[in-house]
Amino acid sequence: MALDALLQPVVLFFLLGALAAFARSDLAIPEAVAKGISLYLMMSIGLRGGGEVAETGFTHDMLVAGGAGLVLSFLLPLPAFWLLRTAGRLDRTNAAAVAAHYGSVSVVTFATGSEILRHAGMAPAGFMVAVLALMETPAIITGLLLARAQNQDSLAPRGGLLHETFLNGSVILLLGSFLIGLVAGKAGMAPIAPVFEVPFRGMLCIFLLDMGLIAARRLLDRRALTIRTAAVALLLPLLNGTLGVVLGVELGLDAGSAAALGILAGSASYIAVPAVMRLALPAADPGLYLGMSLAVTFPFNLTVGIGYYGWLAAHVWPLIRG
Amino acid sequence: MTNTTHRRRIEVLADEPLISAIVRIAADAGITHHTLLPTLGGVGAHGRWRDDQLSGATAKVMFLAITGPDHAAAFIDRLAPLLESHHMLLMSSDVEVVRNAKFD
Repeated sequence: MALDALLQPVVLFFLLGALAAFARSDLAIPEAVAKGISLYLMMSIGLRGGGEVAETGFTHDMLVAGGAGLVLSFLLPLPAFWLLRTAGRLDRTNAAAVAAHYGSVSVVTFATGSEILRHAGMAPAGFMVAVLALMETPAIITGLLLARAQNQDSLAPRGGLLHETFLNGSVILLLGSFLIGLVAGKAGMAPIAPVFEVPFRGMLCIFLLDMGLIAARRLLDRRALTIRTAAVALLLPLLNGTLGVVLGVELGLDAGSAAALGILAGSASYIAVPAVMRLALPAADPGLYLGMSLAVTFPFNLTVGIGYYGWLAAHVWPLIRG
Repeated sequence: MTNTTHRRRIEVLADEPLISAIVRIAADAGITHHTLLPTLGGVGAHGRWRDDQLSGATAKVMFLAITGPDHAAAFIDRLAPLLESHHMLLMSSDVEVVRNAKFD
């Protein structure tokens, strides 16, 4: 499955973008187009997840997965913080800011992972979209607590920070689209499927081409990254993702949903969390947390992590359990 | 000959998430009018930067205001201690404006 994942068009377009950036090509996707596609992807993911839950109804597995996602998002920054302080040798503020990214999730990693799992006959349950939305923000709170709350000279008013944390665009769009899909159901979704379902993979390819360009260019401008922080950025998704898969299987989720929980736990945010951290912890280096999550962890998950989480959920962990 | 009036021009280059707070500080200092300008990229003390609409965390915006000297001084006094920690640039200069009532 790992090799199969690498040969998917979405991953190949990511690699093409990365190669173009490394070769210093002038290839570029306009920022506004990339932003628009990211909104489209979130709407599509939310709608499809809501539509599927409308079919299956609210299940015990959905509650279990939601609870597991919340707990993971709150707690994953703790070991990450320790690892970043010790192995990464980061100061408290930077370690807390980076740890928050690793407790939160990457929507595009989830979208790509879901497509790869679906292709391998392991489609995750529709409710995993709700789990994705639930896991966006708790890690931010943990990260701020680890940094001992706001810096005294922060520009952020406390109310504004809470607003930014809980009402950020990606959470609103994901949850809102999920609820619309839930209300509309499969029948209501049929008329808009030509826009939100059929072109999804193609749009994901365009977006990942841009992500390849961004990730590689950020790696080329890697002033903030050291060998130590890059190594931690490779280790954290493996540890967190394994924990997510093991937890998912132990809680009785199907292999696809357990793999998706592993993908969520192993991914790191680069959309919702950076903006909040820039406001709340201005002393933290954005080049560091964006470099680690976007230039190291994201490509790792796309090329190795997703295949590994799927393989672990489908074959290894059930075998260990007997 | 057209009459012109002396005013202070203030420019702040800051990361996009900080802009709403800068606008609030400006309003507290009595600066009620401003313009926000998008940027494409550049090279600064910390190296190259470029527009970043994906996360928005490092997308830079230029805050531009033209105001009277008292309001400008109050704004600079409030913002100056935060420039280093928040990685912002603040520039102020003298300008001559036409229709001075537009630049209180």
